[in-house]
Amino acid sequence: MRKTLALAIAALLLASGAGRALAATNLLETGSTLLYPLMNLWVADYQKDHGDVQITTQGTGSGTGISQAIAGVAQIGASDAYLPDGQMKSNPMLNIPLAISAQQVNYNVPGISSSEHINLSGPVLAAIYSGDIKYWDDSKIKDINKDLASKLPHQEIVPVHRADGSGDTFLFSQYLSKSTPSWQSGPGYGTTISWPSVGSAVGATGNPGMVQTCQNTKGCVAYIGVSFLNQTEKAGLGYAALQNKDGKFVLPTGATISAAASATDKATPGDERISMIFAQGENSYPIINYEYAIVNPKQPDATKAAELKKFLGWALTSGQSEKYLGAVHFLPLPASVVKLSQAQVNKIQ
Amino acid sequence: MTAANMSEPLHAGTAPSTYISRGWWGLSVACLVAVIGLLFSIFAFVIARGLPALKPSIFVTTTHGIAGGLANAIVGTILLVVIGLVLVIIVGLGTAVWTVEFAPKWGKRVIRFMVDVLAGVPSIVVGYFLYVALVQEAGWGFSLIAGSLALAIFMLPYVVRAADVALTNVPRTMREGAVALGARPAMVVASIDFPYALPGILTGLLVASGIGLGETAPLIYTAGWSNYMPTLAPTHSPVGYLTYVVWTYISQPFEESHQLAYAAAALLMIFVFLTNLLARSFVEYRLNRGRTSR
Amino acid sequence: MAAANMAVGSGDTAKAVSPAALQRIKAQLALRILTGFAALVSFAIIFLMLFFLIAYAYPAIRFNGLQFLTSPIWNIGNQYGSGVTTRNGFSGPPGASFGALVFIFGSVLSAVCTMVVAVPLSIMVALSLVYRVPRQFRPLTNALVELMAGIPSVVYGLWGLVVLVPWIAGAFGPWVTGHLGFIPFLGGSSGSGNGLLASVFILSLMVIPIMVATTRDVILAQSNAIFEASMALGSSSWQAMTRAVLPSVRAGVVASVLLAFGRAIGETMAVLMVCGAAINTFPQNIFSPINTIAAVIVSQLESALTDSTGMAQRSLAEIAVVLFLITLLINIIARSIMRGADRREGRGAA
Repeated sequence: MRKTLALAIAALLLASGAGRALAATNLLETGSTLLYPLMNLWVADYQKDHGDVQITTQGTGSGTGISQAIAGVAQIGASDAYLPDGQMKSNPMLNIPLAISAQQVNYNVPGISSSEHINLSGPVLAAIYSGDIKYWDDSKIKDINKDLASKLPHQEIVPVHRADGSGDTFLFSQYLSKSTPSWQSGPGYGTTISWPSVGSAVGATGNPGMVQTCQNTKGCVAYIGVSFLNQTEKAGLGYAALQNKDGKFVLPTGATISAAASATDKATPGDERISMIFAQGENSYPIINYEYAIVNPKQPDATKAAELKKFLGWALTSGQSEKYLGAVHFLPLPASVVKLSQAQVNKIQ
Repeated sequence: MTAANMSEPLHAGTAPSTYISRGWWGLSVACLVAVIGLLFSIFAFVIARGLPALKPSIFVTTTHGIAGGLANAIVGTILLVVIGLVLVIIVGLGTAVWTVEFAPKWGKRVIRFMVDVLAGVPSIVVGYFLYVALVQEAGWGFSLIAGSLALAIFMLPYVVRAADVALTNVPRTMREGAVALGARPAMVVASIDFPYALPGILTGLLVASGIGLGETAPLIYTAGWSNYMPTLAPTHSPVGYLTYVVWTYISQPFEESHQLAYAAAALLMIFVFLTNLLARSFVEYRLNRGRTSR
Repeated sequence: MAAANMAVGSGDTAKAVSPAALQRIKAQLALRILTGFAALVSFAIIFLMLFFLIAYAYPAIRFNGLQFLTSPIWNIGNQYGSGVTTRNGFSGPPGASFGALVFIFGSVLSAVCTMVVAVPLSIMVALSLVYRVPRQFRPLTNALVELMAGIPSVVYGLWGLVVLVPWIAGAFGPWVTGHLGFIPFLGGSSGSGNGLLASVFILSLMVIPIMVATTRDVILAQSNAIFEASMALGSSSWQAMTRAVLPSVRAGVVASVLLAFGRAIGETMAVLMVCGAAINTFPQNIFSPINTIAAVIVSQLESALTDSTGMAQRSLAEIAVVLFLITLLINIIARSIMRGADRREGRGAA
C-alpha cells in the first residue's frame, strides 16, 4: 500500500516536473470566439517550428480577452472590439489588427431554403431586438423582402444575443447604432449593452453557443461571426443580406468584405482603433472589422515579450496566407495595415 | 427499524382508505422508478459517449485548442484536490480535535454552527472572493494556490463534520480509561481517538474529495485554465482541470471537442464512483471492526 | 547541565516538575494552541469572505442605492462614451444603472419551483425506498442514491445542454403550448429550450438525491412504534406514514428541505448552461429564459472588467453579497429548526 502510494506520488511529481522542464515559455491567448478558430490554426502550425514556446488558446469572449490582457494574466487578448478612450487612458494597450473578419446575421426560419436569403436592415433589426417587430411576417420585414414576402411564416421571432462580454455584440450593436438613431440614443454599442426588455430574448455564450441556440429555436435571429459559416450551414441556419450605407442589400462574400475594407483601410490611424462598420460603397458589406490582439506594450517578462513579438510577427506575415484565412472566411490585412500593425508590435518590450 | 411488513393492517377489507393508500404507494414506487431511472440514464448517457473516447492516448496528450488529450486536466485535477486535501486536513482535523477535546460548551456550538453555515456558501461566492482577493489584489494571477484554496474552503465543512462525529463517537470507556491511567489530552488523542476515528475521518476525506473533483465555478476564477501540464509553481501559473473541459468543450462546434468533453465527464464520474466506493467500504470495515470487539 | 526544576501549583500542592513532565505540558499547550488556531480559521473564514466582499462592494452599494434591489435594468453604461455618471459621491460609466431584480427574482423563482417539484418527489421516493424496496436490494439502492448525489454539476449541465434543451425546444415545449396553452404560464412561445423549465428540471435532479438520503435516514431512525400505533388505531399504511410518522420527523425533513433550497439557489454551472441568460426581462411562461445571481456573476464577470471605473465589477460583488446573505439566512433558519427539534425531543444541546 505504501509502495503504491510512493509510486503514485513519484509519478505525479515526474509529470509535473516534466511539465516544468518542457514549459520553456508559456503564452496565454484568450478572448474573442470569432478569432478563436483562426488562432487555433495558427498556433497549431506555429508550434511545429517553434517548440520552445507553448501558446494556450481560449475562446472566452472579447470582454475576457480585454480584461485579462489588461490584468496581465494573458499576453494576447483577442478582441473584435478596440478599446474605448476611457480604457486607453487608464491602460494604454496596443490594439493590433491581425486579420479582417466579418459578421453574419443568421436565422432559423422554416420555409426559407438555404439558397434564399432574407433581406434585413439596421432599423428592422433594431426593431426586432427592441421587441417592436414580433413575427417574421411583419409588414416591415415584408416591405424589404418583396420576392420572399409570401414565404415568410407567422413565426414568432426569438432574438438571440450574447450573454458574455462579446466583440460580436460590439460589432452588431455598432451596426444598429450607426444605422438607427433611436438605437444610438438607446442601448448604444459596446461589448456589453443593456438589451431592451424582450420576453423571449435568449442569451447564449460564445459564438458556438449562438449557433447551438439558434439551431434549437425556430424563428431565431442571431449575430454570428463569419468564421462559423461552415457550422451555421451545417446547422441549417440561413444568413441574411444586410442593408449597407448605400441602401443595397449585400451578402458577406469575399468581394463585399474587401469592398468595405478598401473603403476604410486608408483611414486607419496609427493606433489602429477604427470602426469599419457601415462603410461607404454600393458593394460594401456593413459588418466587418479588424480582429485585434490587445497587448500590453510593457511586458513584465522579457523572454515572454520576445516570444510574443515573434509570434505576432509570424501571424502578420506567414499567418496571412489563404491556407489559414480561407478556412475561416477572413480576409488578409492590406499591406499598409500590416505595416502599421508591425510598427505596433515593435513597441512591445 | 425493519420495514418488514408495511402492508395493510389485518382488518383491511375494502375500506376506501385502503385503495387510496395502495394508490399512493403505487405512485411512490412509480416516482422511485422514474427518478432512479432518469438519474441512471444520465449516468449511462455520459458513460456510453465517454468510454469510447477514453483511448489510452488521452492520458498522455494534453489538450490543445479544440481537441487533444486530457493529461494536463487529469494531473491538474489531482494536484488541486490533493493540495486542497492537505490544507483541509491541517485545518479541518485541527478544528475537530479542538472542538472535541478542548472546547468549552459554547465553543463547540459556535464552531459546529459556523462550519454548517460554511457548507451552504455558494461555490461562486467563494470563487469570486478568491479571485478578487488573490488573483487580482494580491497579484498572484491564476494559480495553483488560489485553486487549491478554493477547493479547500469548499471541502472544509465536510471534513470537519466527519472528523467531529468520528472523534465524538470514540467509546467513552476507552477515553476515560486512558485518562484514568494518567494520559494527557495529546496522548489520548494520538493513541485512542485517532485509531478509532480514522475510518470515519477517511470517509469524510473521500466524500470531500468527491465534491472537490466535481467543482467548476470556484476554479474558473482561481485556477484559470492551461493547455499544458501543470508546473508546480504556486503562483502565476494557471492549472487545467477536468470540469473545465466538460464545460467549454461541449459548446465548441467540433466533434473532436465533444468527444473530449464526454471523455472528461466519464472520467469524472468514474473518479466520483471510486471515491464513493472507497468511502462505503471504509464504513463497512469500521462496522465490522466494531462488531468483533477488541 | 543541571535540569531546571520548576515549581508548579501553589501553596501546599506545589511540587517540582521533571523535565519529562515539562515536555508533556509543552506538548499539551502546543496541541491546544495549534488546534485552537485551526478552529479560529474555520470560524473566521465566513466573516473574512463576507467583510471583504462588502468592503469591496461598498462603492457600488453607495452608487446603486436601494434601486439595486428594485430595478430590473442592468445597464453597464456606455463604455465608449465620455464622462461619468456620479451618484452619492461614487462614479461609474455614463448611463450606468445597476438593478439586480431580474437575477434575484430568477434565483428565488427557480429555487422555489425546484422545491415545489422536488420535495413531494423526494418524500415519496424516500418512503418507497424504506418500505417498498425488498431488503436484499437495500444496499444497492442506497449506493445508487449516494452515487447520484455525487454527480458533478457540469455533467448535469452537459446532459441538460445536449438532451434536455433540444427536447424541450423540439418536442415537449410545442406539445405543452399546443395542448395545455390555456393554463396560465404554459401558453405562448416554447422558446429555445433554455429557460425556467430546463433550469428547474436540472436543479430538481440535483437536489432530489440529497433530500432522499436525509429523509430516508431520518425515517429509519424513527422508531416503529408510531407507525404501528397508528395502524393499530385503524389507519391505512399510507395514512400512518403521512399523518403519524412524517410529522414526527418534520424538523429533520424541513431542515433538509431548507438546505436543499440553499443548494438550489446557489447552483452555478448547471443553471448557467441551460437558463437562457435573460437580461432586463422577466419570464412570461415556464419556457422563457431566466437568469440567476450565480449564473450572471459568471457570465458578466469579464465584461464587468472592461469597465474602467470598476463600478460594474463592484456591482457584481454587491450581488454576490446579496446571494451570500440569502444563503446565510437560510442556513441559520435551518440550523435553528434542527436545534429546536433536538431540544424538544430531549436530545440535549448540540
